[in-house]
Parts: sequence; structure tokens; C-alpha cells
Amino acid sequence: MSYPAVSGDIEVDREAGKGGPAFAAYIRGLGPANIIMGVITAVILFVFVAPFLLVIVVSFGEKIEGASWVWGFDFSNYIRVFVGVDWPNSVTLLYALKLYYTLAYAVLGSLIAVGFAFPFTYFMTQGSRRSQAMWLVFVLASLSMSEVFVVMGWDILLSNRSGLPALLKAVGITSWLKDTGWLAVLRDWDLASPRNVKFKTSQLATVLTMAYLVWPYAVILLFAPLSRIDRSMIEAARTMGAGSLTVLRTIVLPAVRLPVLGSLLLLFVYLLGTYVSVTYFAAPAHQTLPVSIYESIRGATLNAPFGAAQAVILLITAGIFIGFSLMLARLAERKA
Amino acid sequence: MPGLVLAGIKKTYGPVTAVDNIDLTFPKGKLTALLGPSGCGKTTLLRMIAGLEDPSRGTISLDGDDITEKPANKRKFGMVFQSFALFPHMSVAENVAYSLAIAGVDKATRRARAEELLDLVKMAGFEDRRIGQLSGGQRQRVAIARALAQKPDVFLLDEPMSALDAQLREAMQVELRLLQQKLDITTIVVTHDQREAMTMADQIVVMSNGRYEQVGSPSEIYHRPATAFVASFIGKANFLKGKAKDGGVDVGEFHFRPEPAASFLNGSAVQIACRPENVTIGAADETGPNRVSGTVTFLRDIGPTREIYVETPVGSVISEMPASTELVFAKGETVSAEFPAHALRLFPDTGDTAGASHGSGAGDRKVTAVSDKRDVAA
Repeated sequence: MSYPAVSGDIEVDREAGKGGPAFAAYIRGLGPANIIMGVITAVILFVFVAPFLLVIVVSFGEKIEGASWVWGFDFSNYIRVFVGVDWPNSVTLLYALKLYYTLAYAVLGSLIAVGFAFPFTYFMTQGSRRSQAMWLVFVLASLSMSEVFVVMGWDILLSNRSGLPALLKAVGITSWLKDTGWLAVLRDWDLASPRNVKFKTSQLATVLTMAYLVWPYAVILLFAPLSRIDRSMIEAARTMGAGSLTVLRTIVLPAVRLPVLGSLLLLFVYLLGTYVSVTYFAAPAHQTLPVSIYESIRGATLNAPFGAAQAVILLITAGIFIGFSLMLARLAERKA
Repeated sequence: MPGLVLAGIKKTYGPVTAVDNIDLTFPKGKLTALLGPSGCGKTTLLRMIAGLEDPSRGTISLDGDDITEKPANKRKFGMVFQSFALFPHMSVAENVAYSLAIAGVDKATRRARAEELLDLVKMAGFEDRRIGQLSGGQRQRVAIARALAQKPDVFLLDEPMSALDAQLREAMQVELRLLQQKLDITTIVVTHDQREAMTMADQIVVMSNGRYEQVGSPSEIYHRPATAFVASFIGKANFLKGKAKDGGVDVGEFHFRPEPAASFLNGSAVQIACRPENVTIGAADETGPNRVSGTVTFLRDIGPTREIYVETPVGSVISEMPASTELVFAKGETVSAEFPAHALRLFPDTGDTAGASHGSGAGDRKVTAVSDKRDVAA
């Protein structure tokens, strides 16, 4: 018997909604939870979107020599990144090259990190629970090291006087390289001086350090999907004659291709912003946009609008890369 | 031909013994069912045969060659998994031809062999489908075709029917058996379903607590169960507990006399098992040996048979008689139940039937099982 009464109440509410101003009624109807959510949303929008918009606006500004900069609206900062400040009289690709190195290091660094993390994590998930836990603790511990700390360690490891080159010389590998002519080849690759192997400065050292930096993230990102793989699929492949590496290549990798792609993208985006490793290990001519952005905003050149333009271009390029990868993934899925 | 031989196979996980000292022969070209309740060690045994687990002790040999140390990918044993374990990123044909691709067979031959095998399992025309587009029954057929692609020496199936609905299961049991006979391939099926084992197997190995209770043909296992566990796990049985006396058994005031006479020491605890279809119900005034009177408590018709539940001084008894029988009983009627002497099976009363299969008597019972095994495996 209570049903008619309830429907009657609803009718009354509808009448009230029609009567007053709609917005006031809406605000009155909000509970405390809605209000808190509203405030949080506003704060997030302010904290994340406002600086972002400011950078975009500043990128169109103009630097005043010997002073700061003024608001403006022209594309000269963007043009400068791609073809140089003297365009159209002459073209310099200095900043375009920096963009190229930024992308190349990030792509290679993430590929190497995921390339090593994938088999490592797979064999880790095949181990006992105890060994898995121990490895995870180790990986998490290495995550806790800051970039500065990691770079310092690698700096010593790769330094010409006390690191790997010194070791190679001490055990006689350097003289063997000289005798066999490999040192000349390494020199062509910018990995040797006339006297010994050198890693500082080199692009190899830069990329390796970057890969090392994100490798623990790759392990953690791949651990969950790899440990969820149906073990019987792996066993089925084994009963059909597949060895461990064949199973890895033909069964495991295809099964986790999306998480692998996701890890690659995430690490790529993360590595686009690498600063410390690049300043330590890359020669000035091979340095990246983030270093140049810092120089522009806080460092020697002090040109905030130009720094902002470089930042916006880096962001757009990353966006294009991610969009392209997702498109490829979708194509692959449709084909599958 | 020796076929596949297990000798002294044992598997322990820390303090837990999953499989305990198993000696078994799987005759060439025959289908053997490993049957038992869950946790009895049958799947572990199958996985050791496949090379997916290493035995803690013992040897496995195939046609005289010791293959104990051989890894799974070198054994050439085809296996169908409970979950089918098909590769979702490959088409049906690619799944079937996977072992051939691993072996380096060229694409055209692979395709031809996949088509041939899919035709064999009645899946012709499905070559280019994705695994996600198949029903449970179709997936099973693909899994069977895939396991057979490398022309395996031994064909292993781990609970192959458990993911199928009841109707499909019956049909697939018959089909799988026909396929196995056609290919004449040594086959081992793990199942907990006694009906499945009876339908398909040449030889059944009944397992419990990591050991086997009995090895024999389906009819031997059913009609001459070696242990109380087998009698209770395979089909239904009435169990009466008593004490041995002069070749017979005293159950309360009644004396049962089996044929041939039992050889238990007077006074030892004994269980009598008698299949319901062997118990006949007659009028109350009928007399004779092995006959007790009682009251009908429940009746039900199950298609071709009628079950009659009778409460007697020796306990509750179930009789299964043909539904076509002329005799008609009513609930509450006083009747007599006859246990034919030849249908009585006697076992030591260790309190161990399938319902209470985790008792301590497993060790005692194995003695009987070993002697049985020799008969069948030879």
C-alpha cells in the first residue's frame, strides 16, 4: 500500500524543481561529497592546467635583450627551433638536432630497458614465490635511487681513469683491441680515444644510463601481466617441442604485446625529460631539448619564451609519437 | 611390446607426498584412464609422464628407453590440457600446426597437415577462425588435433571433458575413444568421472592418496573391486560391517556366507560390499541364506531401473531392480532382501571407502593392488 505514497512524493519534487530558479535548486540539491569533489576538481585544474597554459602563452612572447621578456604573439620562437634564428637568410638545424637526439635517446633507452626487462621478468615469474619476492625487493630498492645517484655511480664506472676503460687496459683487452684493429673501429664509433676505450662522453653511455634508470619500472610494469599468463599455455608449447626461448618468443611475447607496448610508451615519455644523464654523458653537440630548455629558462641563455616554445614542441612531438603507437596497436589488434 | 613403463615413481613437495611409489605399465596402443578423487595424485602422475614435473624418485621408460631425464620438449608426447591452453593470438590452423612450425616444417605442409587433422576431429573449414570465436566443444577438438599434429608417441589428456556440458561430454567420450582406436595410439586420460573412465578405457588405474588401489579392465574394476575404496568409488555399493566367523561374516545377529568362503581370521573386522543391482527384494515370508527382512522406506523409478530403500536390522540397504519387474512394493511394507553369495565382496574394515578416502589404511590395501596390476599389465 505504500507505493502510491512514494510516487506522490516524487511528483511534489518535480513541482518544486519547476518553481524556483534551476541553478539555485541544483546547488541546494548538492551534498557535501559533491562539493568536496567540485573543490578538488577546481584545484587540479588550476595546478595542472594553469602552468601548462602559461607555458603555451609565454612561448609566443618575446625576449628583451638584457632584460626579461614581454607578452606577444608571434611564431618566431617556434620557427627558431626548427630552422634557426636567422631564417630565412640561413638555416641552422641546431635545435632540430637536439629534438632528434631527445627522441632517439628516449626510443633507444626504452627499447633497451624493456628488451632486458622482458626476459628477466619472465624468468623471474617462473621462479619460486620466495625468489620472486627477493627480486622484487631488489628492483624496488634500485627504484629508490635518485637519477643523480645513479648517474654518479655510472660516472665512476665509465670514467676513463678509474672505471671500465682502466680495467680493460689493466687486463690487457685494450692492447688486444689495438693489435686487432678494433680500437680504430671503436674510434669511428666515438667509443675510443687514440690510447684507450672511452665511454665519456658518448651516446652509448647516455643511452645505457637512461635504460638503467628506467629498467626497474619496466620490470614492475611487466611483472603483473607476465605472472598472469596461463601457465598451461607455456606447458602446452613445451610438450609441442618448444624450448624456453622459443616459448618466450612465440607464446609469451605475443600474449603480453599490449603491456609491452604500454611499458615502452610510458618509459619513452619518461625518458624524454631526462636531464642529469644527458648533461653528464652526452657531448654538448649531442645534448637534448630538456637541457636546452633548462639553459633557456634558468641557465646561460635566459630566454623564457624560446624555452617555452621548445617545451611545447617536445610535448607535441611526444603526443604524436604516442598517438602513432596507439594507432599501430589498434591496427595490430584488428588484424589479430 | 612394453609401451610406457613407470617404475618406483614418487613425487614429494616438501613434506607432502603427492605420488607414492607407483609401478605401472601403459600397454602400447591402449587407452588407460587414471581415475580417482581430486588430490589423489593422478594429474601429478600425468605431468611427470609429460615431462612437466620431475619425479623425486623412480624411472619412466618408453619402449625400453629411459626418458626420465628427457625434457618435455624432447619427448614428443601430445597433451590436451584441462583448460585446452589454446594460443589466443593464433588462428585455429596455426594452433594445430604449432609443433610443426617449431620443428621447421614448411608452411604448405603445415597447412595441409592442419587441414587433415581438423578434418579428423570434424572441424574442417575452421582453419582461419580465431580461438575466441569457438565454442567449448570446438576448442576441445582443436586442442586434440593440435596434440596429435606431431604424431606423438603417447597421447595425454588431463580431465579433457571437465569444461564441457554433460550432453557434449557423453558424445565426446565416444568420439575420443573411436579416434584413439583409429590412430592406435598409447593414450592416458586423467579423470575423476568413473563413467568417463568406464566408457573410454581399456585399462583403469584407480588412485587414492598418491597410490593406486587397483589396475584392471573396466569390468574387472566394477565386478571385482580389490578394495573397499574401489567398490565405493566405482558405482554404488551397500556396505555392511561385521566380524569374520568360520568363512562367513556376522553382522549383528545375521550370518552372511559368501562364495567362495572368506579367509579372514575369526573375529577380525570385515566389510561386506554388495552392488544394489545384485540385491533382490522378495516377499517377507521368503527364506534362505543371506536373506534379511526389513521395511521399505523409499521407492523411486529411474528410467529402466527402480530403487528400493529397505531398513533392515543390518542397516539401510538399497536394491536396484529392473523397472519391468512384476513385483510391486509399497512404502512401509515388510519385505526380505537377499544378498547372493557370489555377489558379496569382503574387505578388511579399515573404515576406508571413497566417502572417507583419507583414512590411514592406504598402505595395507596396496598389497592387493600390486597383485592385480601384474595380471593386467602383462
